[in-house]
Amino acid sequence: MTRRRLLGVVGALVLVLALAVLPLMLGNYPVTIAARILAFALLVVSVDLLTGLTGLPTLGQIAYFGVGAYTAGLVGIHLSTNLFVQVGLGTLAAIVVAAVTGALAVRTSGIVFLMVTLAIGELAHRVADGLPVLGASNGLAGIPAPTLLPGGGPLTLVAHTYWWTLGVFLVGFVVALVVTKSPLGRSMRAVRESPSRLAAVGQAPYWAKLSAYTVAGALAGAAGTAWTAQTRFVAPGDLAFSISAIALLCVVLGGAGTLWGPVLAAAVVIIVRDWVAGYVSGYRELLLGLLFVIAVYVLPRGFAGVAATWRRRGARRVAEREAAHVQT
Amino acid sequence: MAVFDGILLTSLNGLALAAVLFMVAVGLSLVFGTMDVLNLAHGSLALGGAYVGVVFLGTGGGLGQLVLAMIVATIVGLAAGLILSLLTRGIRDHLKQALLTLGLALIAADLMRLAFGGDVKSVAAPSPLDGTIEILGRPYPTYRLFVIAMSLVVGGLLYAVIERSLSGAIVRATVADRVMVEALGIRTKVVLAAVFSIGAALAVVGGLLAAPVLGAQPGLDNTILLLALVVVVIGGLGSIKGAALGAILVGQVQTLGVALLPEFASFLLFGAMAIVLLVRPGGLLPAAHAEVAR
Amino acid sequence: MKHHTQPNRPRAFALAAITIAAMTVTGCGNSLAQTDAAAETVKVGLVVPTSGVYEPLGVDMTNGFQLYLDQHDGKLGGKSVELVKADEGDGPDTGVPAVNKVILQDGVSVVVGIVNSATALGVKESVAQAQVPLIIANAGANDVADGSDYVWRTSFANGAVGASLGEEVAAQVDGPVYVIAADYAAGHEFAGGFIDAFEAAGGTIAGESYTPFGTTSDWQPFLTQAQNSGAKAVFAFYAGAEAVNFVKQYSQFGLAGTLPLYAPGFLTEGGVLVAQGAEAVGILTSLHYSDLLDSPENEAFVAAYVEAYDTPPTVYSVQAYDAAAVLDLALADVDEVDGESIQQALHGIGAIASPRGEWSFDEQHNPDQPYFLREVESVDGANRNVVLRTLTE
Repeated sequence: MTRRRLLGVVGALVLVLALAVLPLMLGNYPVTIAARILAFALLVVSVDLLTGLTGLPTLGQIAYFGVGAYTAGLVGIHLSTNLFVQVGLGTLAAIVVAAVTGALAVRTSGIVFLMVTLAIGELAHRVADGLPVLGASNGLAGIPAPTLLPGGGPLTLVAHTYWWTLGVFLVGFVVALVVTKSPLGRSMRAVRESPSRLAAVGQAPYWAKLSAYTVAGALAGAAGTAWTAQTRFVAPGDLAFSISAIALLCVVLGGAGTLWGPVLAAAVVIIVRDWVAGYVSGYRELLLGLLFVIAVYVLPRGFAGVAATWRRRGARRVAEREAAHVQT
Repeated sequence: MAVFDGILLTSLNGLALAAVLFMVAVGLSLVFGTMDVLNLAHGSLALGGAYVGVVFLGTGGGLGQLVLAMIVATIVGLAAGLILSLLTRGIRDHLKQALLTLGLALIAADLMRLAFGGDVKSVAAPSPLDGTIEILGRPYPTYRLFVIAMSLVVGGLLYAVIERSLSGAIVRATVADRVMVEALGIRTKVVLAAVFSIGAALAVVGGLLAAPVLGAQPGLDNTILLLALVVVVIGGLGSIKGAALGAILVGQVQTLGVALLPEFASFLLFGAMAIVLLVRPGGLLPAAHAEVAR
Repeated sequence: MKHHTQPNRPRAFALAAITIAAMTVTGCGNSLAQTDAAAETVKVGLVVPTSGVYEPLGVDMTNGFQLYLDQHDGKLGGKSVELVKADEGDGPDTGVPAVNKVILQDGVSVVVGIVNSATALGVKESVAQAQVPLIIANAGANDVADGSDYVWRTSFANGAVGASLGEEVAAQVDGPVYVIAADYAAGHEFAGGFIDAFEAAGGTIAGESYTPFGTTSDWQPFLTQAQNSGAKAVFAFYAGAEAVNFVKQYSQFGLAGTLPLYAPGFLTEGGVLVAQGAEAVGILTSLHYSDLLDSPENEAFVAAYVEAYDTPPTVYSVQAYDAAAVLDLALADVDEVDGESIQQALHGIGAIASPRGEWSFDEQHNPDQPYFLREVESVDGANRNVVLRTLTE
């Protein structure tokens, strides 16, 4: 393992540790914000998988997030409060819905795909708003506190549901990472760069796209179940078009395709929108809008681009130093 | 017979809605067709036009006020379009454009809310047009017929300019093959700025004319943007005929469709859009567009 | 050659660390520990919309609550009030975190406000778990207040407002009535309450229409259906922008002079009434308040409100004003200023003298209150809701 790779792994472990001890250092309210960030960040990862890696810009992942969230809620009310059951069934439901809708959606690409996914997202929003079994416009309330072990006590402390959400996020992130480095990941990148070339080597882009779509749907569904676990309440407003739009913009803001960049962007956006805006009440949209506009000009390749620029500058400094070294 | 009368009147409403949507969406379609720019601030432009209506026609006014409001709306739109075209000039990536224009839309929405308040504002139809006309024995607001007439005029003018004039030919050529037009020595930057400005002006005027029907309030920009996007996608990017057809379809789905199938009302629009896209991904009447080899 | 590369990961960590540090500085504490309450000062969380489509209601509610505080030297129940405000926003995705913030971060002993019913339903469990009483000053969904210890409402229940018109319409209208409402939970609850009471009083329904919520711009097809149904009057529920457009189109399509329109008062309350203009005149509504109520308490309240805020009070102002009155009574009875004590005191406060008349909490913790029949009339050039008579006691 190269030294750089080792540093990367150690750094990642340090970050995970920091996230894990968060509830011991911060008060209840910041921890609930962090938990919301983690659930949203996993949704953003699923968007990045489609948009950044496969080149399919999407506004519809919120639909599968909603499927996961509502399924987990219904399971919690009617079937079992066990978190493993909820995340399992919720993710499974999301996979099924994603596979079925994806089979149609991935026949298109580009701006048309974007609009089809917009339609999927909006249709899910309206279904959630209309079905009485989902609570209709009032949302699904009365979800009991989740449990971790069969027959165990309910998790009522904010820290506990935070840790569960962190676990779901880490598993989902690792899955995404594994996919990007797998043969499927290579096919996804090939779809983004040149579908015709992919077809030329004998792989149908359709199946690569559909696989990517289903995996992304699974991640979004898992994120939804984590959302329900911490909020114990799902409303149609959680599937609003604005959330899809912000998730897509986090991918752009963070650096499409890098996975960690969009996660960071998700954290920044939520903190600006929910935390900072709390101190300048009534200007939430203005702040978010300013963030986006400034980012477009100052961060042309997103947060990941900043890191890449540092890396390039670092490499250039190294090259200059060695050139100077050679000359003396 | 009463049922038939009802359906006819409802279709007329669908045309009135289509008229408004056409004026707002045609600019979006042309801008996307010529410059490949996805302008998510388009809804804010329409809402701005509605607030122009609040300022000039809010407490009632005559035709003079309406003309004045339209002139102001046009100027505001041209200026806004010019600014937007300058801001999006260097940015080629669709997603970056989306980020930028959405950011601008959010800022504009909050600024308008600060200026006009969160209350819903209603705009009275200007005075000779605020009455009713008897259609099939039922009173029908005159103003809606006026809006339909205006959109026909605007659509006709646009069509004449785009299809029959030299500038129109240049715009069509830019939509079809921008690189070639540049090679011919025509500064496409000027063409694009012009298209953006005119498209924006159309959106602002569209919002103004819609104000007596839809009112003005925060959140209306999102509603209009979503509808305009659906119109453009269904109709086909970059074409006036497409925008018109898309607007008529969306207008009827939203009125006649909702009246005939109220239980499915929420799903009709996006269901229709999804179906159209899966059958005809380019939209129903897309403009000719050069294929870029990939 | 010596390689000296700088991995990009630590740089990303720096960004993340700064973010976390910022949160730590502002949020120090241990999430696994409990918070204490202070005596003699009570922290009250006021959660109302200060942005979004419901902002006007939030303004009225803040004004109403603040007026009561100003009239009582900033004290409720003899204790100084520290008011913590948070923005409820448009719906539960902003409202629920706002309530969480005032409870977890600011450590309030009681939460007041909430416009949106979905938000109210969303926080019902968490306020009970956190043992912080919630005094709802608007959200009307029937299920929100069901007698749970920690949820109290000074506003109304949707079904009850609709039901208040049942007998009146059955008595006044000689024929069937057409019902039209927005197709969401509240619309169904208002209409449902009316239909039950109306049919129990012997009335017949000519038909029902529920229009897509928030996306309807054209009521003509439904209005035509109403005209064709043989109905002799229309019952409708809309609020906000839909109320404005509906009323205008009701007039434009010719129903205003021929079919009397009855509705819960939200159709013609506050800013909506101003926007509707002349087209609203003649609409008959039922509500538990009108600023033209003829009573000494109301006249004093209206005078004070107009002097402080330059505009007449609305039902939203009164609901929040009464929430402060309720707290005034409850806090006078407690020794410890913590959620559990306040909740217990709320059970025993008795009648509240309010500008709307005297009322008290019923078993579900909703106000047991009179409803008034109001008619929109042009008074001194402006639309006002003139009170005709009391509908129910």
